[in-house]
Amino acid sequence: MSAFLTYLLNGLAVGCAIALIASGLVAIHRVTGVVNFAQGTFAVVAGLCTSSLLGLGFPHGLSELAAVLAAAVAGLLTGLAAIGRRGTTPLSALIVTLGAGVLAYAVEIVLWGDQPRSAPGLAGSVTVAGARIQTQHLLVIGVTAATFVLLALFFGRTYLGKALTACASNPYAARVVGIDVRKMGLLAFALGGLLGGIAGVLVTPLRPISFDTDVTLIVNGFAAAVFGALTRPVITLIGALLLGVAETMAAGYGYGSHQLEVALGLMLVVMIVQASRRSAISLEST
Amino acid sequence: MIRLVAGLLIAAVTLALPAVLDDSALAVYILLGLAAMVTVGVSLLMGYAGQVSLGQGAFYAIGAYTAALLALNGVPPLAGLVAAPVVAALSALVIGTPLLRLRGHHLAFATLAMQLILLSLAGQLEFTGGDIGLQAIPQFSIGSFEAAGAATYAYLTWAGLALVMLVTRNVITSRPGRALRALATSETAAASSGIPVGRYKLVVFALSAAFAGLAGGIYCFYTGYVAPGSFPVLISIQYIVMAVVGGLGTIWGAVVGASAITLLLQALNTLSALPGMPTYAPSVLSYAVYALVLIVVVLFLPQGLLPAVTDRLSRKRRSTPVETR
Repeated sequence: MSAFLTYLLNGLAVGCAIALIASGLVAIHRVTGVVNFAQGTFAVVAGLCTSSLLGLGFPHGLSELAAVLAAAVAGLLTGLAAIGRRGTTPLSALIVTLGAGVLAYAVEIVLWGDQPRSAPGLAGSVTVAGARIQTQHLLVIGVTAATFVLLALFFGRTYLGKALTACASNPYAARVVGIDVRKMGLLAFALGGLLGGIAGVLVTPLRPISFDTDVTLIVNGFAAAVFGALTRPVITLIGALLLGVAETMAAGYGYGSHQLEVALGLMLVVMIVQASRRSAISLEST
Repeated sequence: MIRLVAGLLIAAVTLALPAVLDDSALAVYILLGLAAMVTVGVSLLMGYAGQVSLGQGAFYAIGAYTAALLALNGVPPLAGLVAAPVVAALSALVIGTPLLRLRGHHLAFATLAMQLILLSLAGQLEFTGGDIGLQAIPQFSIGSFEAAGAATYAYLTWAGLALVMLVTRNVITSRPGRALRALATSETAAASSGIPVGRYKLVVFALSAAFAGLAGGIYCFYTGYVAPGSFPVLISIQYIVMAVVGGLGTIWGAVVGASAITLLLQALNTLSALPGMPTYAPSVLSYAVYALVLIVVVLFLPQGLLPAVTDRLSRKRRSTPVETR
């Protein structure tokens, strides 16, 4: 039973990291209609930055903050490439973000080499009802919860957040009332970078990050995001937690090598079921 | 007339090259032909059926593994080479039936997922040789004739490419080709004028998979081994880059795109092998080139290289006062 509880809590932590990446995808897709393939890259950039800054002797907290900001800047740059030019269709923008992700490979190898890197996190573990939990896992869960609360407040209570939501629900009407849709799109990319960065900073102490970790991260994040049809953050969070728990359970009960297949298979099934419920006309008109 | 002469000239150069190139140049020449073969399929799929596949490398892998497994079990290599595209197309039919209900970015991710699952399976299963893969694949042979040198494989590759291009051209100019163009612009409109949208998309998907499978079959005989590491996700992205650079939906564009990218990478490889360059230079340069070429072409030359150049030329010709035609 305690093993089950350990897997459950570890799974929730993994799910939280996925949720942060997925929420970045959702934020960007809602506002701009673009699926950002470089979302995993932001997490990798942040993770590698923290490990370097900590290695240089900067204190905890400062290093993590700087790394998250670096990821936000990476998000902004990706956004400039993807939607900076007028008339780029969402599918072209997807291919551009794919290019941005590959470009990041080159930069990351020059700066950090191609070996995986890790960073020290919170040491020690806590015993909850007979189950040992690493403190870092609890930190991941706590920070994710706080981030989601802040996001809800930002989108629901601030002018900027409401402007972003306006662009998401009707770009034309948003432009009519004087909102700069393009600027909001870039802001959404920066926000996506920020969220990806938080995920990267939290995950690096748990599992080493190398330049090509982004494929696993983005695939997991996308899998979670399709639960919420790439638009609904709360369902995305639930999807991510389910995915994290399912993966960790699969690994814990001896199917460790099939972790990726579990996530991908789940994603495919969800997408196909969703697609069969939508008509072609509703998709082409948007 | 000009087209005929140009065609004959290209054919003559293609046939003459294997005789004059040395072995390392021949390797580039063969890989170029194989890449072009897959890219023609990607270009057909993206340009005509309007579908993005980020998993074309999976069908390349299926073709290579099929031919390798058959050859290792004593089946004549020719039968293996024929089976490679057939098996790839059949798996595309099976995989495509559920997947092609998706579109746009959903389909892109689904095909990527398919390739990741397949690679992971190939790395774990017993009969595919796990991560080490399959080795000591016999040379390609027909009857008593055995392909020994790289030049033979070059001819085989380019014969395959010619076949692929011919099939594609015939598909595009036929009645189904017109239907494909229609469904790329609007599936609803195409369906309402009586085009079986789902079936057509599936057939194009299978056809592009068959091209990739054929290339994979030749590849496994040429290199003599296959392993999951030979088919990374980046290889699928590379085909997208080549197709986009050459111009989507143009047969020659796919060949031009594949040639341009392969030769560019080759030049960079020589450059990064120069003394004084850091050890990470080759991978960094190739990643940077893929990325920058892809971004610049998508943003500034959305039609691709070949259509952009031919447009420029025909505009110049039209602006001259004497009309020659």
